[in-house]
Amino acid sequence: MVKNDSLLSDILSKEKEKILACVHCGLCLESCPTYLATGNENDSPRGRIYLIRNVEEGRLQPTSSAFESHINRCLGCRACEQVCPAGVEFGNLLEGARAEISSKKTERGLAYHLQSFLLRYIWLYPKRLRFLFSFSRIIRDIKLPSLLLKTGIPSRFFPRLAFAFALLDASSPAPLNFTKNEDIAEEKETPAATEKKRSVMLFKGCVTEGLFSRINKATGRVLKANRRQTQIPAKQTCCGALHAHSGDLEGAKTLARRNIEAFAADDSPIITNAGGCGAMLCNYGHLLAEDAEYDARAKSFSARVRDISQELPNEVIQANGCGNSDAVTYDSSCHLLYGQHAAGDSLQMLLSANVNYVPLNGSDVCCGGAGIYNLLEPELSSKILGEKLDNIKNSGAKVLATGNPGCHMQIRAGMNLFENSDLKVCHPVEILDESYRCAGRYDNDKAKVKS
Amino acid sequence: MADQIIQQLKKILGSDAVVCDDDELLVYECDGLPQHKLLPRAVVFPNSTEEVSEIVRILSAAKIPFTARGAGTGVSGGALAKDRGVIIELARMRRLLRIDTENRIAVVQTGLINSHLSKAAAPFNLYYAPDPSSQTACTIGGNIAENAGGSHCLKYGVTVDHVIAARVVLSDGRIVDLDAGTLTPGYDLVGVFVGSEGTFGIATEATLRLLPTPPAVRTILAEFPDVNNASRAVSAIIAAGLVPAALEMIDAATIRAVEASVFAAGLPADAEAALIIELDGLEAGLDSEATHAETICREHGAREVRRAVDEKEREKIWKARKGAFGAMGRISPDVMIQDAVVPRSKLPKALAAIYQIADKYNLEVANVFHAGDGNLHPLLCYDSRDEYQLAHIKDAGREIMETCVEAGGSITGEHGVGLDKIEYLPLIFSDDDMETMLRVRAAFDPIGLCNPGKIIPLRRGCGEKRVIATKESGLSEKAIADEKADAAKSYAVMTPPDKKSSSGIPVFDSEKARASVAKIIGEENVRANALGCPLAAFPTSVEEISELLRLAERENWAVIPAGSGTWLDAGNPVGNAVLSISTSRHKNLIEYEPADLVVTAEAGMKLSELNANLDSQWLPIDPPDDGRATLGGVAATGMPGAQAFGYGAPRHHVIGMRVALADGRIVKAGGRVVKNVAGYDLCKLFTGSYGTLGMIVELTFKLRPRPLAEITIAAQSSDYISLIQAARMILSSELLPVAVELLSPGNSVKSDLITSNERHTLLIRFAGADETVSYQVKRAVALIENFRQIAAATISDDAGLWSELATIPVQNSNKLIWRSVVPRSKMDTMLDAATKRSGNGAASLLWQASIGDGRLRVEEEMTDDILEKIKSLEELRRAANSLGGNLVIENAPLILKENFDSWGDAGNAAEIMRNIKAQMDSENRFSPGRFAAGI
Repeated sequence: MVKNDSLLSDILSKEKEKILACVHCGLCLESCPTYLATGNENDSPRGRIYLIRNVEEGRLQPTSSAFESHINRCLGCRACEQVCPAGVEFGNLLEGARAEISSKKTERGLAYHLQSFLLRYIWLYPKRLRFLFSFSRIIRDIKLPSLLLKTGIPSRFFPRLAFAFALLDASSPAPLNFTKNEDIAEEKETPAATEKKRSVMLFKGCVTEGLFSRINKATGRVLKANRRQTQIPAKQTCCGALHAHSGDLEGAKTLARRNIEAFAADDSPIITNAGGCGAMLCNYGHLLAEDAEYDARAKSFSARVRDISQELPNEVIQANGCGNSDAVTYDSSCHLLYGQHAAGDSLQMLLSANVNYVPLNGSDVCCGGAGIYNLLEPELSSKILGEKLDNIKNSGAKVLATGNPGCHMQIRAGMNLFENSDLKVCHPVEILDESYRCAGRYDNDKAKVKS
Repeated sequence: MADQIIQQLKKILGSDAVVCDDDELLVYECDGLPQHKLLPRAVVFPNSTEEVSEIVRILSAAKIPFTARGAGTGVSGGALAKDRGVIIELARMRRLLRIDTENRIAVVQTGLINSHLSKAAAPFNLYYAPDPSSQTACTIGGNIAENAGGSHCLKYGVTVDHVIAARVVLSDGRIVDLDAGTLTPGYDLVGVFVGSEGTFGIATEATLRLLPTPPAVRTILAEFPDVNNASRAVSAIIAAGLVPAALEMIDAATIRAVEASVFAAGLPADAEAALIIELDGLEAGLDSEATHAETICREHGAREVRRAVDEKEREKIWKARKGAFGAMGRISPDVMIQDAVVPRSKLPKALAAIYQIADKYNLEVANVFHAGDGNLHPLLCYDSRDEYQLAHIKDAGREIMETCVEAGGSITGEHGVGLDKIEYLPLIFSDDDMETMLRVRAAFDPIGLCNPGKIIPLRRGCGEKRVIATKESGLSEKAIADEKADAAKSYAVMTPPDKKSSSGIPVFDSEKARASVAKIIGEENVRANALGCPLAAFPTSVEEISELLRLAERENWAVIPAGSGTWLDAGNPVGNAVLSISTSRHKNLIEYEPADLVVTAEAGMKLSELNANLDSQWLPIDPPDDGRATLGGVAATGMPGAQAFGYGAPRHHVIGMRVALADGRIVKAGGRVVKNVAGYDLCKLFTGSYGTLGMIVELTFKLRPRPLAEITIAAQSSDYISLIQAARMILSSELLPVAVELLSPGNSVKSDLITSNERHTLLIRFAGADETVSYQVKRAVALIENFRQIAAATISDDAGLWSELATIPVQNSNKLIWRSVVPRSKMDTMLDAATKRSGNGAASLLWQASIGDGRLRVEEEMTDDILEKIKSLEELRRAANSLGGNLVIENAPLILKENFDSWGDAGNAAEIMRNIKAQMDSENRFSPGRFAAGI
């Protein structure tokens, strides 16, 4: 049978075998948050693969609005990969499809133009990016967004802008305040002093460092308490996830190469604390597979990547006897769960901090944040967020821990804006860090500093 | 005009619920079997039954066909819209409306995902048994359309065994409620609807049976060095009398694909076949059953047998099994999934043939299937870019079908016919069979707009003509018009003629009539004034029955089909029947293959005789029977007995039939394999139709191994309240009784084994392996001991007791006998209403109540005051109706029957029942006036 010539550039057609791996069984449908929200097969993984296949086979124009809109509406959460018996690498297909779309001139909304402007002219330049985040922090810390939101004007007239404000505001710290519980006898675990310190490298992440530097600091302290020697390579940059997910594969590759160089000093583990970055770093091997110079290096780079919780698996030092009674729940963060496969370890790390843990229904379902999906596809995003917020309310939790800044901001912004709730959101490592502080694990360090 | 329709639909549903852009419709051009592609005109997303009804009204007014779709995981092309019809997508109708734990039912919108129901029922220790491999994605509505099976249907049955009722939108937009003829009298409409693949109407809500979660499970994984040994082990396990919940086989090619997937379960890559055997039930005795199965595997050459150590490992094994189809994507660009059934004993031969066929066409084939049911799923691997393979994939498929049919099997066990197998249907059904099916379809959908072009090839055998339309090579407008004309012609034949009454036969020359009957069957087989008619015929062959019916047609006689004549007076009085045709001399055993657990016999064979012929197996039904009941009679009345609670009613056991129609033609329904969804399941329609649609001449049943132990507990008390409480306590415990029967005083006396006849008696029967039964008896006795006023005894040799119990209903033909069915939880209310009536001493009543399924049978003395009796019956029927059930007269003097409908209100589907009668028996020849809905 003679197939029509593909309408695609080679971006997508080289993914052909991945497309063919889909046997159209449909087991992925129920795993897809957008399908659950609309019931429309075009918004399901199987449907999207079918659209891609039809573009590849020349039956559908890559510039058609059906292709563009339904590919754009994908959250990229990759929950479908987890249930796919044929092992379709949906995340990579999606990136190919988005690259395809952005390579064609199509009419796109203002938000998409703004996105590509930012990614192209800010994110690729570390100085500009630092400036952007400093500026954002100032805006946040003078409480401008929260004041504006209180007036109710943005929500009324510019809901998208209001949500952007709420997101920024949601990155503010949420202090936990553990107290010592004298009733519980503290087990003094003394790490074997003779054990040699293990060397690790910390990947800071642009959003984490820009808006959540406290999480990086907490990560550093927890690593140190667990006898890790942490280096922070200076030349590191954004991981490129935002670029890849929005179809700017070249931008993503540029950043990936820079990071590979930045972390090339030795082959110690690369520690991440953001699922989005972690999943992206794990994927450098695939991203640069066609780059003769970087292919092998990218693969070995990816193999070194691990979430903070994976670095501290079973031997993580507990700080018994400290805590508070607030119910704490955990949301998986899709890329930590499906991309980096570290959500189980991350929850385990949280539990090691002796929290009053309550399970969260649908913890494995996307919150609708998905990078800046919440600003690009506000309607569908808020529908998906609504489910998440309902589940959080039903869990009765006062604190929610999650291992990715995007989810962090999305959930807290949603709770503030739509539920008028003061749910505290934090990273699991922040909780562990707080339990260490409360238990006096850092007292020695302070004493040392003083002396 | 089309645009106008779209606008109308958008107006009702909102524009986000109508997709009509061709690019967006692409994904709806195929379902789980992408080899077939048809682009729909539009896709609509209703939220409620009422919206579906409005959509259908608009479409049918414009003569636009429509197809319901759930998750699109079907693998027969069933959810594709022909003739650019509209797809009605039920994905948004996924609400679980109600779980009723006491009656163990769930009411759901049909867009609900199969596995979500079990998840929601789990906190109540209940689950929904049918578990197709796609259960994490497929919808209940899709399951109903296909009569989906699954891995565990070996023990628990398929979808139709678990659907109690359905709310359906018909092609004219009317909303009707279908039932199995139990809670509402009439034909088993829900039984024939399930598996009709969306061609009768759209089910929007369903009432489903939930089962208690088995307290214990053992899952065994056995690896074999070759496929043949594995299939022999399967037969040996069944022959040993074990009833595994699931018995699945995976071959080498599948093992390799699955082990490479996310669902890897640690199967060794060099095993040629693996069996998954799952046994479930009570903890007691389960280990010895599992050991027994393991021993059989080893005896048949299994090189390694291991048992899942925990739920995690079990889940892993099942995920591997259920992900097998999708996992084939790893080893092959395209996969054609097939579905066929062979008798279990023919598995090794069929498998060998399948491998051979694949070899012949140079295709790789992987087999993963429900071995316990003989339900094969060959997965043909190919590459659609390879011209040779593409050209031969269909040939290979067809040869596999032919091989299985030749072995006595069916073309589909659970995937349905849809578009994919429409041309194979004639392999197993004749033109007459298919025409009968089309008539039933026409009774539901006279205008032919419900999912047209599926299941049954229309006349002018257009199997070959039916090209698969794709977007580019779509059917031309003319081709579509031609096909529509074809369809219209076929439906024109189906237009029911005016209902004629057979009462217009004033002149009846009895001598001449007798002579013409005798000419067909011989003088010795004719009797005058017998079996309720001037003439009774006792034919000895199907041909004679056929001939007699043609005679009746020529002479315009009304005919009463009969067996031994036990239920001649059932229902309303039959008007002016001339001839009764009894099957009682047509009574041979036709085929019995113990390894297949299937038996075929002529309809006149007695149930008692059949069971005596089956060694360590039996047909597990105990309908009212004094030893004379024929198989045909048992099926025609469809009446459940006490043990229907544990084993199911006759409808659950009939898998095939041959039936003589009013014009003498003999048609076939179902087949001789335990799992079969080819064509409509007309067996369901004939079962319980009281001889008003046709004359059953031959039956095939599925059997069960005889339980090794059976013990009954007889508990007595002076009041029935405490006995009902005790019964409920047992029913809500983990115990699995096969019957829970409560008898009034006086009724008890007939069973000599019971000590006192002054008191109420509760009989609870347990059956199964020794260890399981003795554990249950002990537990049940302990539970009953909580009630001080109850005295309990254990009866080990209880067979006589139960057969005696079955004779009670047929003994008192001079009395008024009625029966009622209400939801189980309402049993005591109904019993109170029956026994505490004013003007009727409760003491004079004899009754028998099946507590487990809400059935009550009452015998009363007739009084002279007929009007008062009728008044009291009307009150009772109202009571039963208000409890969600019904009351039916089983036996009564003519004068009462002439003034009181034996059946009661047949509900809003009565017209469909009348349509069916008109389609199947247009001259109203069979038992006129006997049945519900005025049939």
